[in-house]
Amino acid sequence: MAGIRLHVIAPLVLMAVGKCARDASVYVRKCAANALPKLYDLRLEEHNSAIEEIVGILLNDHSPGVLGAAAAAFASICPNNFSLIGQNYQRLCEILLDVEEWGQIILIGILLRFVIAKHGLVRESIMFSLCCTESSNSEKDGSTTEISIKEDPGFLCGGNNFGLDVDVSGDNDLLASMVSRCYIERPDEYLSRSSYTNRGPELNVAQFTSGKSNNDVKILLQCTSPLLWSNNSAVVLAAGGVHWIMAPREDLKRIVKPLLFVLRSSSASKYVVLCNIQVFAKAMPSLFAPHFEDFFICSSDSYQIKALKLEILSSIATDSSISFIFKEFQDYVRDPDRRFAADTVAAIGLCAQRLPKTANTCLQGLLALTRLEFLSSDIGSVEGEAGVLIQAIMSIRSIIKQDPPSHEKVIIQLIRSLDSIKVPAARAMIIWIAGEYCSLGDTIPRMLTTVLSYLAWHFTTEALETKLQILNSMVKVLLCAEGEDLWSFKRVLNYVLELAECDLNYDVRDRARFLKKILSSNLNPQGLEEEANVSPQHKELSHVLAEHIFGGQTKPVSPEPMNCRFYLPGSLSQIVLHAAPGYEPLPKPCSLLHDDIDLSNACQGTNALESAKNSDFYDTDDHGSLSGSLDEESTSDYSRQDSITKSSVSSGGDGTGSANDDDDSVDLLIQISDVGNACENQNGFSHSGSADLRELISKRGLESWLNDQPGLSSASTSEPSEVSISTARISMGDIGRRVKTKSYTLLDPANGNGLKVDYTFSSEVSTISHHLVCVEVFIKNCSSEAMSDIFLQDDESSKGSYSADQTIVATDR
Amino acid sequence: MPPLMAIEFLCRVADVLSDYLGGLNEDVIKDNFIIVYELLDEMIDNGFPLTTEPNILREMIAQPNIVSKVLSVVTGNSSNVSETRPGATASCVPWRTTDPKYANNEVYVDLVEEMDATINRDGVLVKCEIYGEVQVNSHLSGLPDLTLSFANTSILDDVRFHPCVRFRPWESNQILSFVPPDGQFKLMSYRVKKLKSTPIYVKPQLTSGGGTCRVDVLVGIRNDPGKTIDSITVQFQLPHCILSADMTSNHGTVNILANKTCLWSIGRIPKDKAPSMSGTLVLETGLERLHVFPTFQVAFRVMGVALSGLQIDKLDLKNLPNRPYKGFRALTRAGEFEVRS
Repeated sequence: MAGIRLHVIAPLVLMAVGKCARDASVYVRKCAANALPKLYDLRLEEHNSAIEEIVGILLNDHSPGVLGAAAAAFASICPNNFSLIGQNYQRLCEILLDVEEWGQIILIGILLRFVIAKHGLVRESIMFSLCCTESSNSEKDGSTTEISIKEDPGFLCGGNNFGLDVDVSGDNDLLASMVSRCYIERPDEYLSRSSYTNRGPELNVAQFTSGKSNNDVKILLQCTSPLLWSNNSAVVLAAGGVHWIMAPREDLKRIVKPLLFVLRSSSASKYVVLCNIQVFAKAMPSLFAPHFEDFFICSSDSYQIKALKLEILSSIATDSSISFIFKEFQDYVRDPDRRFAADTVAAIGLCAQRLPKTANTCLQGLLALTRLEFLSSDIGSVEGEAGVLIQAIMSIRSIIKQDPPSHEKVIIQLIRSLDSIKVPAARAMIIWIAGEYCSLGDTIPRMLTTVLSYLAWHFTTEALETKLQILNSMVKVLLCAEGEDLWSFKRVLNYVLELAECDLNYDVRDRARFLKKILSSNLNPQGLEEEANVSPQHKELSHVLAEHIFGGQTKPVSPEPMNCRFYLPGSLSQIVLHAAPGYEPLPKPCSLLHDDIDLSNACQGTNALESAKNSDFYDTDDHGSLSGSLDEESTSDYSRQDSITKSSVSSGGDGTGSANDDDDSVDLLIQISDVGNACENQNGFSHSGSADLRELISKRGLESWLNDQPGLSSASTSEPSEVSISTARISMGDIGRRVKTKSYTLLDPANGNGLKVDYTFSSEVSTISHHLVCVEVFIKNCSSEAMSDIFLQDDESSKGSYSADQTIVATDR
Repeated sequence: MPPLMAIEFLCRVADVLSDYLGGLNEDVIKDNFIIVYELLDEMIDNGFPLTTEPNILREMIAQPNIVSKVLSVVTGNSSNVSETRPGATASCVPWRTTDPKYANNEVYVDLVEEMDATINRDGVLVKCEIYGEVQVNSHLSGLPDLTLSFANTSILDDVRFHPCVRFRPWESNQILSFVPPDGQFKLMSYRVKKLKSTPIYVKPQLTSGGGTCRVDVLVGIRNDPGKTIDSITVQFQLPHCILSADMTSNHGTVNILANKTCLWSIGRIPKDKAPSMSGTLVLETGLERLHVFPTFQVAFRVMGVALSGLQIDKLDLKNLPNRPYKGFRALTRAGEFEVRS
């Protein structure tokens, strides 16, 4: 009956379900539990508390069959209402084994959340490394972030430029800490972190608990470990996830074999499991290192699975296993699937970077490969072969990059083979290598004259890519050259530039003219005295400019696209690599209210409670912030007025959460009902940091807004000046958090109009905030009536280390 | 919902459907639309799996047979959902039909093993492991309690169990203790790793040059498992760049299928000679030689022996009125057995 989605009969159904929940028959109770989510879907607010109560009753049940369904209901109705779990935690753990498999999956997730919310993370687990690295690395981390942003624009992924491109050889602890942090953060918080280098939620040691001393953790681990033997791969993965997060490091071995065993099921689940193993293996390679054989590729695997296995293999390779792995790789290179062969070559490069000892072997192999491949690419010109060749040279280049002086011979060999390699991209890359390391060692500079004249000779027949690269490399060589070589280089370059200026392709022509202008002083064949006249500054400039241009050239398509974000193991988001709708990260550690927890935790607790209250808000809201388009149309049936007050409540709560030591904000908490006042208060508070013209405008704008309160209809006419400015600029740190409250489309159910808020990160650099982030917020009133009490509010960091300024202008149409 | 849960559920649906309908393809589903609908209705509710145990489903929804078809045509009542509420949902063993009755009690235990092996270009065995299942077919009355023990559990690398298996006895002394569902089910699957040898060898040899490629494949017995190895087939994908292939063998038949797969069915290996296949592939014009070589997939079957060496020690039954008949069988077949060339 609950399947009839009619609002009218909902109260009747609710009553029936309530009765059935106390029925004597297990089957009836189970069906009652199943009916609850359907009832809840009707979104009749007044019933929510009753529904939650029934969930509580059902969770108290003794039959495992009922508990499975009740867990499912709990997860979809009130996933944050941990008090319901708290009463039955121990019993739920004990009965977990007998619950049917589908219920087990859900129940494991709930119990995990509960334990984390109650006790925090476990000190012995891999997640704890977060805490250790946190303090020591925070400085270092900030700097690496900067660097990576600068040198690697390829990694920016939708603006989330957190420096996650940790070198593969690198700091696994750091990666693990990233992983754990990502598990806990909401997607919007993640967004916020990318905007400034300061870390998001500070997790202090108090939020960790010892797995050995804590009973709850111990029980959970104990009860989930037999589930690793389950026949259902989803159960295995869920149990594995619990162990991954909670278990002490030395016990993690336990999850390895079951996970690998699950690989023997259908190919779809194989892919899912491999995706998860990949994350595990990256964070803790030692775990899977002895089992490298399981990731050997089978010809019946699909390409995606092969690629994943390769990636895992290259991340778990150790000095002892590398020889076996290379043997396998040699076979893979001859695989009929050339795309896969190219990937293998890339993987060899990665292995060599991770294990510098093997670099020489790798290079020899790769060089042999290039020689082999161009034999075939000469005549065959098969698509895939070119890919393999390019990838091989790319790998060689990345290996050389690590330690150029020791690989001088390789460079020479590559340059020698230039004549026989025909693939333009590969040629371009070799030329790049020649240009980049032109001053390395003794032999290379001597070769260069010949090489350059050879290149000049062939210039007209080259492909576009190669032509551009020749130009660049020549300039590079020129800039490094000294003595008599300089003259010959200049002649060659002049010749090439002239050729290029008459080229058919406008890119080449442009490049040639540009280089000529920059290097006009250097190029002048007249003589040295003139060159001396050129101010060193200018020379420096040209140098810098040139270097800059070359830095960005032929960036390799990252062979291993680094996922910038990790999600909970087993979740859908982990597979698709973005937060899927409905994705819920782990709750904040220790967010359950306890008397003995310090102030900041308490504040977090209130936050959590707040969020529990407004959970429907977050539900609908999450979609928006995930997909990045924030002008979503929420389908909730709240009246506009209602939701506005609600949002102000939650924002007030947030304010206290972050600025917990400020009297102002405490005031705020108290004065929640008085929206206008609170808002102004907050405003004044946030603006106190800086005195600025813009700020003045904003204040004026805001105040006129606020004073306007019920004068509604006149609002649009009375503020033409505001309309003319029409952009709101907010520099803020914690964008994500604010986005939550700002992004509402508050629908008036009667006519489908509402308040629409849009925001964009503008490319301008803000002059006010030293975080230099500029956000434009557009507020639009779609309804026929004017709205009041709209305010934007900034989340001050507790230290007040930066000032946030707002200029609020809204258009009211 | 975790994606694996969805995948796992779909697999379960497929299993149940093919169990009910004796196969799974478009036509079968069209013909038995009502049954499929009823099954799905029972199995999933509001996006959450409801009843997936085949035993209980069978109790609720009768399996299609001629009698019910005739009945439905005559009476016009097309539903075959039973009126009674399934009893087992209330019992403590939710996977078992409440109280089945059999005239003669039987239980069969099968060890079905699949051998995965990879042999690389140099003929070295890179990986060899066995994935095995213990399949039980039980027709026992009442609520029997079974205990199954193995002679050598130490070789098992990893195991997975049917939900009916109790974990504690396994943890303490590696004994499987369970109340079986009715009918055929997979009690346990296991894995044995790092085996040293394969029962047969396959030696491919490819030489390429001058626009053609010469293929020679030799097959023979390496370690005699004691039983005959039969239904041996060797299969490989011909490269894309060949124009024609001409393959002959001295034993068995060679077929080139439509999707450029060459299938050589050998059957049993004769005593007096080693089967071999040879032939030439003509490459596309302009291609001097072949530089990627195919991988050979080998299939075989050995009846009556479990190659992993796992042995069932004994099977005890309790709670049974009369002595049941117990049967054991073993079977090994090739899983992903490939030979690279």
